[in-house]
Amino acid sequence: MTPPESPPESPDESAGVARAWGWVAHLRTGGTTPWARWQEPAPDADQGGRFLPGAQQLELLRRLNVAGPPSAGLAARVLTASAPGRGLPDLGLEGVLPPSSFGSPPVDPSDLAPEELVRVATALLAEDVVAAGDPDGPPRVKLLRRRYRMLGDPELARPIREALIAAGHPPGGPSATVVVLGTGLDRMLAHEWTARSFGAGVRPWREYVAGERRRTSLSRRFDLAAVAQHWSGRVGPGRVHVVVDDTRLAARLAGRRRPVPDQTELSADAVELARRTAPVVGTLVTPERRSRLMWHRFRPMLAAHPGPPLLVPARHHAWLAGCTADLRRRLSAGGYAVHGDLPEPSVRPGVTAPDEEGVLALAMRMLLGSPTATPVDPDSASATGEVR
Amino acid sequence: MTKKVYLHVGTPKTGTSYLQHVLYRNQVRLRSHGIHYHADRFDAHFLAALDLMRLPWGGIEAQAIGRWDALAASVRRSGGTSIISHEILATASRAQIGHALESLGHGDDAEIHLVLSVRDLVRQIPAEWQENVKHRAALSYGRFLSLIQDPRREGRIPTWFWGVQEIPDILDRWGHDLPPEHVHLVTVPPAGGSPDLLWTRFSDAFGLGGLSLQLDGERVNPSLGVPETTLIRRINRAANEDLEPAFYRPLVRELLAHQTLSRRTGSPRLALPPDVHPWATALEDSWIAEVRRRGYDVIGDLEDLRGAPPVQEYADPDHPDEAMVAGAAVDALKALLLHHAQLQRTLDHRSGELLDTQRRLERSVLRPTYRWRQRTVRRLEASGPGRYAMKVYRRARGRSSRSA
Repeated sequence: MTPPESPPESPDESAGVARAWGWVAHLRTGGTTPWARWQEPAPDADQGGRFLPGAQQLELLRRLNVAGPPSAGLAARVLTASAPGRGLPDLGLEGVLPPSSFGSPPVDPSDLAPEELVRVATALLAEDVVAAGDPDGPPRVKLLRRRYRMLGDPELARPIREALIAAGHPPGGPSATVVVLGTGLDRMLAHEWTARSFGAGVRPWREYVAGERRRTSLSRRFDLAAVAQHWSGRVGPGRVHVVVDDTRLAARLAGRRRPVPDQTELSADAVELARRTAPVVGTLVTPERRSRLMWHRFRPMLAAHPGPPLLVPARHHAWLAGCTADLRRRLSAGGYAVHGDLPEPSVRPGVTAPDEEGVLALAMRMLLGSPTATPVDPDSASATGEVR
Repeated sequence: MTKKVYLHVGTPKTGTSYLQHVLYRNQVRLRSHGIHYHADRFDAHFLAALDLMRLPWGGIEAQAIGRWDALAASVRRSGGTSIISHEILATASRAQIGHALESLGHGDDAEIHLVLSVRDLVRQIPAEWQENVKHRAALSYGRFLSLIQDPRREGRIPTWFWGVQEIPDILDRWGHDLPPEHVHLVTVPPAGGSPDLLWTRFSDAFGLGGLSLQLDGERVNPSLGVPETTLIRRINRAANEDLEPAFYRPLVRELLAHQTLSRRTGSPRLALPPDVHPWATALEDSWIAEVRRRGYDVIGDLEDLRGAPPVQEYADPDHPDEAMVAGAAVDALKALLLHHAQLQRTLDHRSGELLDTQRRLERSVLRPTYRWRQRTVRRLEASGPGRYAMKVYRRARGRSSRSA
């Protein structure tokens, strides 16, 4: 309800609002015209919404229409979504209302940074991940099984662990063989960031690498020697194996005879999208369910969209080479079995940072591929007269 | 009878913690007067707000799942009057506000009253920077001030600041669907006034006048002086990368900031720099005019939103008196040492209990040959041939034998 003391809307103001509602109706039916080129007002009957959606929601829908088409259901979800977490509030459209001395300034939606649109998209993706449902629980534990612990690089160790759990072989137990699986430090850095992006959260890639470099000693998360040393003290060095770049051997040591299929390496953009989405999933389900849903539901969806993987920038290679030499020395002096040799940091095909436009494009592909993404009725879309 | 819901949505640093503490402590007494404050724990409405806004908050959000809808359901089940209060609600989006109002019965059988407690920007700006610092921020005061003065308002700091502090915009978002007489502004009196005056105004806003409630001084959100805030900021810079959020809150925010450094007296207080003062007061003037124009119910005086004149001696937290910071650091170290000693005592006590339990278990349960067998198995498991021998032995026994 408008306060009675408020002055009536000026003709310009009501024309601006009618134009904005007209754009909403246009987008809702699959239109793709940018806001700056949109002039048609909505009929009075179409101006009944409680509030105008924000510029972020509207621009995301326009881009989905360009890439799509999305279903009417997805379009409705976009328009009513709130960008989760901290960041810009829902912004007004430039030219709708006269300048105000308070509130965030209105924008031309085409000028919005892609990360603002990704923010809205993550709210919907998180809902889709939760709606996909929990994976089946682990099967009954087999009594006759080899006891193991699969530690080290999370991107290498977790697929083996998951395969063993699915076969009724959960980790742990007395007399367990401890397998510490690793690879080159540059890859482990990217793998650790990837794993944390799917979990409780982590800083952006560049900040993360810079933070690791500032540390006085190698983080324990990549320090295979420290992990192996710890477990040697607990179970004896005879039961500890450090395995470098050999997932088959690692699986065999843990009691898995059949090889575990290699994990698809995710694109840098996919990992960044997971990093943005996981905290939102965490507002909907418990951390344990988030971990399962992100791994078993969201990860396969992302893996279906290949792209260049993430690399540590070459300027950090000298630092990593020094860490590698130190780690090699400590591994050879540990008294436990070491299978393989730590490789030096290397230049491989990939990118040194996610690309914001790429992340947005991926988010939109994921949304359009979601169960609610059935295309709109072409007749109702063409009713706008807009050519896509 | 129409149900009445008082929805208190902010702003931070306006006595909200005290109000929520009084409401929480007096739930039973309030209920006997037909006033409901549904909260199973002190921060129940904070969790509900996190849930409504899907706001990650250092892991606490995991405890918030489903809290808003549960709170709204309790409100809808109750007759009479219900109160919901949390200051971070100020930053909710229009879509979230729409869901909140609908879930509380707006447009159905509930009469929603919006309450916003407000304080002048001259006090709010330094208080917000300090609150940021107590939530791990490491940015300087100067940087904070330049960020919030930038009209583009980009980034986490300015978007949050304006989201919870820009009074006309908050009222626009939350009061959009409400008649102005159902929108109540509670102004915080100027510094130095009667300490009871703010509570009296809250009482009037929520219809608590005449009720005998247990009031006490706990749960206030204590403020820090200039050297103490500087110290916390430096700790953030040094420890943020290594200290997990779950430990930051009890150790830095609670132990150091609230329980130790806020008790130091004599330090210069944080204030608005004199050169920023005119910008802040111009904003205050425009907000007062806007709120007056809209005709809301004001409890207190809109003139309270005009801040005090610039301080005579400004203490800059970005260039503090280093001796004072060192004094604060010594107090912080002492607090950490005492805390560590207390933890060590607890650990020693628990270790003793554990050892004692282990010994009694061994004496009462284990057979005399157990230790000998345990040593033998461990020795065998430490070598390849030994492990092979154990494997053969276990196969011969015909079952998956567990080691000793």
